[in-house]
Amino acid sequence: MSRLFTEDLRIAYGDQVIVKDLNMLIPDGKITAIIGPNGCGKSTVLKTVARIIQAKSGSVFLDGKQISKESTKSIAQKMAILPQSPDAPEGLTIGELVSYGRFPYQRGMGKLNDKDRNVIEWALKATGISDFKDREVDALSGGQRQRVWIAMALAQETDIILLDEPTTYLDLCHQLEVLELLKELNVLENRTIVMVIHDLNHAARFADHLIAMRAGSIVKSGNGKEVMTKPVLREVFNIDAEIGIDPRTKKPICLTYDLVSSNALAQEQIS
Amino acid sequence: MNQKKLKRTGMIISITAILLLIAFIISVATGFASMSPLRLVNTLLGQGTPKEELILFTFRLPRILVTILAGVGLAISGAILQSITRNPLADPGILGINAGAGLAVVFFVMIFGSGAGTYIYILPLFALCGGMITAIIIYLLSFKKGEGIDPGRMLLVGVGLSTAISGAILTLASKIAREDYDFFANWMAGRIWGDDWVFVLALLPWLLLLLPLVYRKSNVLNTMSLNENLSIGLGVKVEKERYILLLIAVALAASAVSVSGGIAFVGLMAPHIARSLVGPRHQLYLPVAAMLGAILLLIADTIGRVLLDPSGIPAGVIVSIIGAPYFMYLMAKK
Repeated sequence: MSRLFTEDLRIAYGDQVIVKDLNMLIPDGKITAIIGPNGCGKSTVLKTVARIIQAKSGSVFLDGKQISKESTKSIAQKMAILPQSPDAPEGLTIGELVSYGRFPYQRGMGKLNDKDRNVIEWALKATGISDFKDREVDALSGGQRQRVWIAMALAQETDIILLDEPTTYLDLCHQLEVLELLKELNVLENRTIVMVIHDLNHAARFADHLIAMRAGSIVKSGNGKEVMTKPVLREVFNIDAEIGIDPRTKKPICLTYDLVSSNALAQEQIS
Repeated sequence: MNQKKLKRTGMIISITAILLLIAFIISVATGFASMSPLRLVNTLLGQGTPKEELILFTFRLPRILVTILAGVGLAISGAILQSITRNPLADPGILGINAGAGLAVVFFVMIFGSGAGTYIYILPLFALCGGMITAIIIYLLSFKKGEGIDPGRMLLVGVGLSTAISGAILTLASKIAREDYDFFANWMAGRIWGDDWVFVLALLPWLLLLLPLVYRKSNVLNTMSLNENLSIGLGVKVEKERYILLLIAVALAASAVSVSGGIAFVGLMAPHIARSLVGPRHQLYLPVAAMLGAILLLIADTIGRVLLDPSGIPAGVIVSIIGAPYFMYLMAKK
């Protein structure tokens, strides 16, 4: 049994139902990528799992307990969330920001003890930003900034880390750097990583488990070979994709694609 | 934190404390009857002439203490509002919380009169109710389901509400006696009117109660100034904490302005300057902001007293002369 899964999750904004009867299972110690078109509800699901959004019905289970019934601080010791492009207040240093990750373990004033300091040092080192710790967060480039936020999530010392589009707004090189870092954390530290990501090839390359969603439901989940297929991508994204094998990583890769024209769709329905 | 920054921060805190002391001495020494620093020390030690004692203990000291306490309250109130709304332009004056408290003060004076009696101790409570109702209205009007509070909308709603309430105050005040009308005109301009020991005693318990509470919440404020979703992920009960902190911010501002008059911009400037000096970590920045608030208001009141003897220019006017351009500078920068 997985530590983290959802049961009959139904999420709505007002009367508009975004996600219905969703049963999603997050494998332990693996990297899971949630993919799908804009508005399919993938970020909404991630936020609900992270208890940022309340589900209308159904539950999210963590270690066999409903997260809505557990204390939010004890969940924060097991699961960290990195929202999409967060902002740091002006003048905050990297060391200070990463130290905020210790919040779930602190009481009252929040003076750091030796354990806290060690974890912060380790998080800075693991993300390769120890040398910048006295610099201000605003002074960093996008790629470095994303490392800082990941370091903060690491300082939270959780087995599970959720990330909402961690590579958005980054250039090609920095996208890869962030994903390599996540892979490293997964392999070396056995952390469970769940991310919402747009780039299909990145998803197939770095994730062990893919979940493809459309209109609030899961279309297909499984490993890269199972999900990165012509019929699945056609159903999920409405694209006609050419799938090959990446000569370097041996993972499936989307070589090129076209829109499925409405003509072709119509013909299909007739036949 | 590294040693260099720690040292720098320690120095900034000491310098701010020394500045506050200097502002205090200057404020005591200046006025209708000036008093040299040497005489001041002597008088404080109980060796002054009866006239000196009268000036110091009956007239100046209570007024200065009220000014310092009000400055601290407004600065911390502004700091909290800025952190929980993640809007560096938030200030209890600009948001209309002060005006709401002022309207309550109007009702209070209509009921009990503007003289200081035993009733004065419940004045801050009255102001708190007025400020709280205003804050709730602002909250409701700027809250959109699914989006939360939009800082820009909140500011606009606050400015509008503030103007409307000020109009209401003047209309109400014009219906009553001439001397009471003068009182309100002065109140709205931000004249420190509570210059008696009872006002110090009416204000002090609020600060003694609320300031340690805020300081204990430094950590929560730290995470709330980042990103709402991030705070939730870190295990902060965001909704609950926001209500508590908003209530504290309103209580601090309302109790301050109930005796100091409607003073804007102190809650805007003090936190902002403090952040640029020691950074946005609340453990360091709140104490600096508190001292800066006291210094700002004390200097403004002293300048106001000296410039237009004997009636003086209200401290709120002097603060606004500095504060309004500062506000515009921040707006432009944003």
